[in-house]
Formats: sequence, C-alpha cells, structure tokens
Amino acid sequence: MPTIETLALLSILLPWAGALALVCLQDRKPALQHATAVVFALAGAVAAVAMIPQRTETNIVSFPLGAAFGAVTFLPDGLAVFLAVVAAVIGSLAVIFSVDYMKGEKQLGRYYAYVLFFIGSMVGLVLSSNLLLIFVFWEITALCSYALISFYNDDPKAVAAGIKALIITQVGGIGLLAGALFLYVYQGSYDVPTFLAGAAKLPADVLALMAFGFLVAAAAKSAQFPFQTWLPDAMEAPTPVSALIHAATMVNAGVYLLARFYPAFEAVPHWRMAVVAVGAVTALMAAVMAIVSNDLKRVLAYSTVSQLGYMVYAIGAGGVFASQFHLLSHAVFKALLFLSAGAVIHAAHTRDMREMGGLGRQMPLVRNVMVIGGLALAGIPILNGFWSKELVLEAGHEGGPLWAWLVMLVGAGLTALYTFRFLQMVFWGEARGGAHVHDAGPAMKVALVPLALGTLTTWLLAGDFWHFLGKALPGGHEAESTGALLVKIATAPATFVALAVVAAGLGAWWQRARLAALAGALRGVGTMASNSFGFEAINRGVVRATVESAEALRVTHSGVLNWNILAILAGLVVILAILALGGA
Amino acid sequence: MWLSLPFLSAVGVLGLLGIGLLGLLVTRNLIKVVVGLQVLVKGALLALVLAGRLSGQVQTGQAITLTVIVADTIVSVVALALAVQVRRQFGTLDLRALSTLRR
Amino acid sequence: MFDLLIVAAMLWCAFQAVRGTRLLVAALWLAGASALTALLMFRLGAPEVAVIELSVGAGLVTVLFVFAINIAGEEPPGKLRSLVPAPVAVVVALCAVGLGAFMALPNLRSVSGIIQPERFAKVLWEDRSLDVLLQVVLLIGGVLTVLGLLVEGRAQARKELQ
Repeated sequence: MPTIETLALLSILLPWAGALALVCLQDRKPALQHATAVVFALAGAVAAVAMIPQRTETNIVSFPLGAAFGAVTFLPDGLAVFLAVVAAVIGSLAVIFSVDYMKGEKQLGRYYAYVLFFIGSMVGLVLSSNLLLIFVFWEITALCSYALISFYNDDPKAVAAGIKALIITQVGGIGLLAGALFLYVYQGSYDVPTFLAGAAKLPADVLALMAFGFLVAAAAKSAQFPFQTWLPDAMEAPTPVSALIHAATMVNAGVYLLARFYPAFEAVPHWRMAVVAVGAVTALMAAVMAIVSNDLKRVLAYSTVSQLGYMVYAIGAGGVFASQFHLLSHAVFKALLFLSAGAVIHAAHTRDMREMGGLGRQMPLVRNVMVIGGLALAGIPILNGFWSKELVLEAGHEGGPLWAWLVMLVGAGLTALYTFRFLQMVFWGEARGGAHVHDAGPAMKVALVPLALGTLTTWLLAGDFWHFLGKALPGGHEAESTGALLVKIATAPATFVALAVVAAGLGAWWQRARLAALAGALRGVGTMASNSFGFEAINRGVVRATVESAEALRVTHSGVLNWNILAILAGLVVILAILALGGA
Repeated sequence: MWLSLPFLSAVGVLGLLGIGLLGLLVTRNLIKVVVGLQVLVKGALLALVLAGRLSGQVQTGQAITLTVIVADTIVSVVALALAVQVRRQFGTLDLRALSTLRR
Repeated sequence: MFDLLIVAAMLWCAFQAVRGTRLLVAALWLAGASALTALLMFRLGAPEVAVIELSVGAGLVTVLFVFAINIAGEEPPGKLRSLVPAPVAVVVALCAVGLGAFMALPNLRSVSGIIQPERFAKVLWEDRSLDVLLQVVLLIGGVLTVLGLLVEGRAQARKELQ
C-alpha cells in the first residue's frame, strides 16, 4: 500500500499526466482520446479513494522550495480527503458520461485535457496546506472553468459567458491573495495549520481583513450574492462540464474555504452574521429566479446557487458538519440532475423546457433517476437531500438569527415548487417538441446509475462521516453514531415545520390552476426575477463603461514598437526624476 | 576610485542599458529588435552579478543570473522563430509595415 | 586599467551591434559584446556564470542569429528612416541613463567581504530550487512553442509547393 504522501501526489499528478497525454495525442483518433481520458480519470479516483483509510491530521511535507515560498505541503485530513474523493469520483463519472455526450464533437483533445487538468487542480486545492499553493490551484481551476465554458468558441454567447465567469472569480481571487499575503507578513509563513492554531496572535484588524477577503473570494467562487450572475451564464458549457465544475466541485471550493478557515475567523465580529446574510439572501433570490426560468440548465444552475446558499448559511450559523453533509448530498444529487439533464438535452436538441414534455414515456431510465434527484433536491424524506437539509435548518435554528431561518424555510418551499415544476414540464404532459427522442446511451447510463444509488444511500453514512471529518470540525463535539443523528433529525420540531413547508410547495404546484390569481399578483416579482433583480443590468453597465473607455484610449495603441518603448522610457525618466529629486 | 572595478562595472551596466534602449528606439527591423533586447539583458545580467559581488553573496547573485540567462535565451529563440515565420507569412520584417493595430 | 579596456571595448561592440545595417555584422558584434561581458563577469568573481554566458550568449545565440538571418534573408539595402526621430531617442535615452547614473554611482558601496562560503552548486540546487524548477518549465514551454511555430511553417511551405 503506497504511503499517504505518494497517494496525495498521485491523485493530483495522475489526472495532470492524463491531460498532458491528451495534449500529445492529436485529434485524429477519438476512440483513443475517450479511452485515455477515462483511464486517467479513474486512476486519479482510485488514488483519491485509497487515501481514505490513511488520512492524517499532521502536515505532510512533499518538498521544500526555498525560504521565500515555504514548502509544498499537504494536509490530508478528513475534510480534505472527503472533498478530494468527491472531486475525483464525480470527475470520473463526468468523463465516462462525456464518452457518449461528446461523441462526434471536434477538438476532444482540448476538452478532455482541460477536464483532467481541472480534476487534478481541484484535488490539489483541497489537499494543500500552504496558503499560496491554495491560491495557485484556485487560479488554475478558474482558468479551466473559463476554458471549458467557452469550449464552443464559435458561439459568442459561450465566449462572453466564459469571460464573465473568469472576471468575476478573479475579482474574488484578489481577496484570497490579499489574505495569503497578510498571513505571510504577520506570521512569517504560508502554513495553514499554524494559522488555524494561533489565529488569535494576529492583530484584530488584519484578521478581520483576511476574514472578509476570504468571504469575498468564497462568495465569488461559489456564485453567492452579489456575485451570482456568472453561474447561470456558465451553462453554455457542455453539460458534463456543468455537472462537474459548476455543481459538484469548483463551486464547492468557496464553501471549503469557509469551512476550513472557520475556526480562525469565527471570533471576528460580524463575520458570522455576514456569512449567514450572504447565504440566506442568495438562497431565497436564486430560488425565486429558478421558478420563472424556462431553460432547463438555468433552473438547475439557480438551484445550485440556492443550495450553496444553504451551505454557506450553515457555516455562518456554526454548523460546519451540517454544511459538509449537505455538500456531500448536493454533490451527488446535483451531478445526477445535471447529467440526466444532459441526456435529455442531447436527445431533445433543445434546452428550452417549453419545447419538451411527455419525454417520460420515451426515456424511462432518465426519468426515473431524474425524479430521484429531484426528490432529493426538494427534501423529501428517505433521500439524502432530506437528511442533510434538515440538519442545515436545525443548525441554523440553533446558531443563527430567526429571520434567516424563516427565509431558509421559505426557500425550502420554493425549492420544492420549482423542482416539481421542471420535472413536470420535461417528463409529463403532452409532447410539445417534435423531435424523436431516444433513451440515454450506455456510457451515460453507467454514469447515472451509481449517482442515483448514491442519492438513495449516502445519508446512511452520516455517523461515519462525522467521525471522518474529525478534528476539522470546530467545537470538538462528540462524534455521534448514524442512528443517533438520524433520530435527532427525525424528531426535531424544525423538521416537521420544514416538511410542512415542502408539502405546501408541492401543493402549490399541483393546485396551480386554482392559485392563478395569486400567481398574477406576484407577476411583478416574477418579471424582476427574470431580469435577475437588476444584477445583469449592473454587469452590462460595467462592461459598457470599460469598453467605451478602452475605445477612447485606442489612439495610444499604435502597435509600433519604437513608440511603445519611447513611452515606457519616458515614464521611467519621470519616475527616476521624482525619486532623484525627492531624495530617495 | 574612478578606475575601481565596481565603478567601472556600474558604468558598463548603465552604458549597456542605454545602448540597448537606444537600439530598440531607432530600429525598424524585427531581428535588430532582438539584438537590441540582447544588449539590454546583458546590462541586466552584469548588474545582477555586480550586486552579488558588492553584497558579498556572490553565489546567490550567480544563481539568479543563471535563471535570467535561461529565460532570456528562450525569449531570443522564440523571437527568432517568430521573425522567421513573419518573414515567410508577410514577406517583410519592417515594423511599420507589420503593424496592423492602426484603424 | 585592464578593466577599463574591457568595459570600453564592451560598450563599443554593443554600440556597433545596434548601429549597423547589415544583420550578420550586427550579430557578430553582439557576439563580441557577449564575450567581453563574460570576461567582466569573471573579473567580478563569478566564474561559473561567466562560462555559461560565454557559451550561451556568445555561442548559442550567435549561431541562432546566423541561422535565422540565413532563412529570413538580409535586410534590403537603403537606410530606412527611423520612426522615432533620432535626436528625441538619444535625448530620452541619455536622460534615463543619466538619472540612473546620478542616483546609483555616488552610492556605490565598497566591496564587502565574501559572506557566502558555500559552493555555487549547493546554493543553486538547495536554496534556489524553485528557480531551477521554473527554468525547466520555461525550457519545456520554449521548446514546445518553437516546435509549434516551425511545424506550422513547414506544413504551409509544403502546401505552397503543391
């Protein structure tokens, strides 16, 4: 059995080796490209899973890199290994799904190379314990996300969406970099465990700056308010990419950051309240926007944003375990929903739900697994989404303010509403589209079925999961067994309230004809929601201002080297003159 | 003092920097641009070695200089390959003719 | 005295390299300037990097220049007017260098004793290992870039011939 150091390096380097292999393979033999990608993705997944029994709470040093950078260190504790396994396993399933979904597409080499590069970097991000290294991996995942969103680079919408995602997540990345640099200045090293153990030693205002900087970075990466506009547009990416990057892994990086650094920042005044507020507002806003959207992937995107809001809210209220448990459930059922949506879109050749309908008869397997995923999303009992969402609500009730808890309850009801809406529009009713659809291909089924089984069963691991996360959880609560946890959730009064709200959501959809008057009264809210509450307008305004100022400055871009060098030199002379006369 | 090695080397550094910049300012040929760049970087290398010598940390100065030599060589290789390709594609190496950023 | 000669010759070679119109001659003057720089580095007590600069700067880069000039062809005769007026260029460059000299030369430290007794190899491979890693990455990137550039050219040339 290889050592934990080897496994940690392998789980990062195997996908990267696959990416390199795909760069070298030209685009002439697609079958070989599919096979190579699947092999390397699965190898990385095996390495990640093999780390589970060997996780450790101590830093492992891979290799030192001189005094300025510190060393490349990894901390494969429960939290890190959990997220690494999620990234690697769901990554492999997405790659397997891509074998059918991307059949016949051009430039598969570029696609698979970026996907594998991404998987390796995501694993590296969660395993690292050197804050600068975390930042490097953070930026690599942002690059891969941009490249994959704009994969169909003939389509101007896809390109614009990719650039938007890149810019918004980069702005967040500044928060992370600033925090890393502050840490180096005040602690002398980038080491994360040292920081977590001794956060109180930093001056209070520096700690507050770091805390809010990290919150900005996490909010931008996880598409929380006010940075949520990039994720719905990112649905221009091929669907396996949406499942992997924008549902199950990259957007979890923000939640991971908050969970990892919670012990250091929980004492910063107003930080927890800010986190709770961000999570609650996002959850509600995104749920409202999901109800009025007609594009299947956009509904799922808004739902991702909303569920991430739940996780962020849970962290702010102190329930780090609840948020990670919900992360686990969400990764599984959201990947399932996206991949089955991919199968539907692939078959129906459209993303607009108004042109679907009655597909359940022709795609029975996809309908069944998507219903399972949808029930988990809505929080119906027995499925994993129910247990984790109830745990989140309970943690919020104990640790957070009442208004936020009520907002989350309303969000849960809206979640049930939009879930049943999209399931009904796609699979039942009369067929509105004309295309002949076939059920999912074999590779797609191979990817979908394990995820569906996971959705049905991951909640059974609750107690083991608590044990697994171990010291990463703050407060040092006693580890509870699965049975005790489940009983606690099932009997809490909050659970019954939540179930009632979910039932209300279900009922509202079922009886929508009778509630048409109410729907008419809320139409104004609906219109605002389709315009994403004005955020798109803000984005467009910013972009327009930038482009216009750039056009105005175009005259200085002559493109002739000599003039450019003259300008640089003139600037240098000015600076030197200032320094010389100012008495440097 | 005027003939001591550090002073002369500093003069050499400044001279090389000036000549390199002058070259970059007046030339119109793409390959001459690479020549000017090389002269500029020689000045920088000399400055690094001089700094190492003056502060007593000669070996660190040498290590950094080595990195800069490698990087600069790669830059000149890629620039020359680009120049060759530009000549093949456009038939000219004149900077003015090659500039397409004007309206 | 010897050092003054080296510096003067180095500056003269550099000036000739930049000034000339024929590319091959310019490359040869550049080789001369590189060799003299290497000699100066040796005089400053950095023998290893002097040797490397000699072989790379005066050797490898010169060969590359000759190669590229042969393929790309010499510059056509007739001196083209430079785009930036020559007086402006000279004035600005002199200002920059003059200010630099004004700031740096009076504050030049006297040579302190050697405080790093370790060998160069040890310092390079242990303290600056990140630099070495970066150099390897740069090299690989450079090789891939050049391959990409030249392969495309050959394919195009072949297409033109057909």
